[in-house]
Amino acid sequence: MPIISGGVGFFDNKEGGANSIQPVVAPVVLIPLGDRWLIESRSNFTEVYNRQDGTTGAYQGQFFGTLEYLQVDYNVNSALTVTAGRFLTPFGIFNERLTPIWINRFQDGPYTGTIGTAGGYADGLMARGGWDSGNGYSINYTAYASTLSTVNKLESERSAGGRFGVFFPKTRLEIGTSYNQSLQGARGNSEGLDVSWDPYSAPLDVKGEWAHAPGGQGYWIEAAYRLSQYRGSNSAIGRLEPLIRMEQFHRSQPIAGDFLPGVSERRPDFGVNYYLPHEVRLHASYGRQFNDQRDSNIWEFGVVYRFLFPLWPGRD
Amino acid sequence: MLMSACLFAAAQKQPGVLANTVQPDDKAKQTSAPDDGEKRFEANCGRCHNAPESLSPREARAVVRHMRVRARLTAEDERLILQYLAP
Repeated sequence: MPIISGGVGFFDNKEGGANSIQPVVAPVVLIPLGDRWLIESRSNFTEVYNRQDGTTGAYQGQFFGTLEYLQVDYNVNSALTVTAGRFLTPFGIFNERLTPIWINRFQDGPYTGTIGTAGGYADGLMARGGWDSGNGYSINYTAYASTLSTVNKLESERSAGGRFGVFFPKTRLEIGTSYNQSLQGARGNSEGLDVSWDPYSAPLDVKGEWAHAPGGQGYWIEAAYRLSQYRGSNSAIGRLEPLIRMEQFHRSQPIAGDFLPGVSERRPDFGVNYYLPHEVRLHASYGRQFNDQRDSNIWEFGVVYRFLFPLWPGRD
Repeated sequence: MLMSACLFAAAQKQPGVLANTVQPDDKAKQTSAPDDGEKRFEANCGRCHNAPESLSPREARAVVRHMRVRARLTAEDERLILQYLAP
């Protein structure tokens, strides 16, 4: 049965006194065909309202519509799926796993979240999969090649790369490494390491990445702790999830259009999420951005609703 | 029904908490050993998100097929998680 899923969000961001309001709709469409095929897509429709003069004046809106992926998947066997179309560039864990607004615990992405992703999206072919070693760990991998596209809404760069990960299910620890090579322009390489740890003994989620690109390198590490050990995950306190993220980016040389900050920056963020029933999540956070030009405070507030419906009625 | 499904979903996100909670659904979890599908769900899907609140078997098939690609699950993972989400 085809379904439509995704998230609807409303975000408010105040950075250095300049307020920005963003309503977002991010639908995911899934169309399974037979036992092995799947057509899937995700889009993002955002209207960004900023004040006319930055911190004063009337709000003016600007619409952004992005086709994040539109891909056809074929499950060749248990350990291999072949994908063709437009897909999220597989580098690290942020771009592929954490960008959906109903998953990302903070509203914005880390500085280094774009390293190795060639803008976030790739048009081409991808092979991916995983297998259980039978010795207490499993392997997962992704390899892709993307072509140059200048088609409106389907832009991509000529690049190739992938990610290789090892997952230890007994401790829910995963370690991965990524590589990307741009095959146009300066033909630079990007490398990355990522880690994800969710111990069974506590409702703790720790994730982090280090990445290096021709223009600079940096890291982010994030920890979230759901207070569900206090009277259960559905108590008033148990729905709370304090968060912290630390990130740093060091600019080594200016490269136009590499989607990275123009100068070296570092930023701690502190936040809290509150999980309401019926897939609604509230978010609030405070961050402080430091760089050589101007330090600034960043306040963020938001609400996200995650939905899932069949695309048309059917019997089970 | 939605509320109980939500309790169920939230319990999946905090598997390590089950033994310490007082919610009715969580208590029920304490008395039954998790099956393979639940283990696979906790080990893979639960690291990033909760389970959807309610899924029909046909919806679950589409969702798990999607997650097999996203999360690089094996065919065995897909089968067991589907069995768990839509028994």
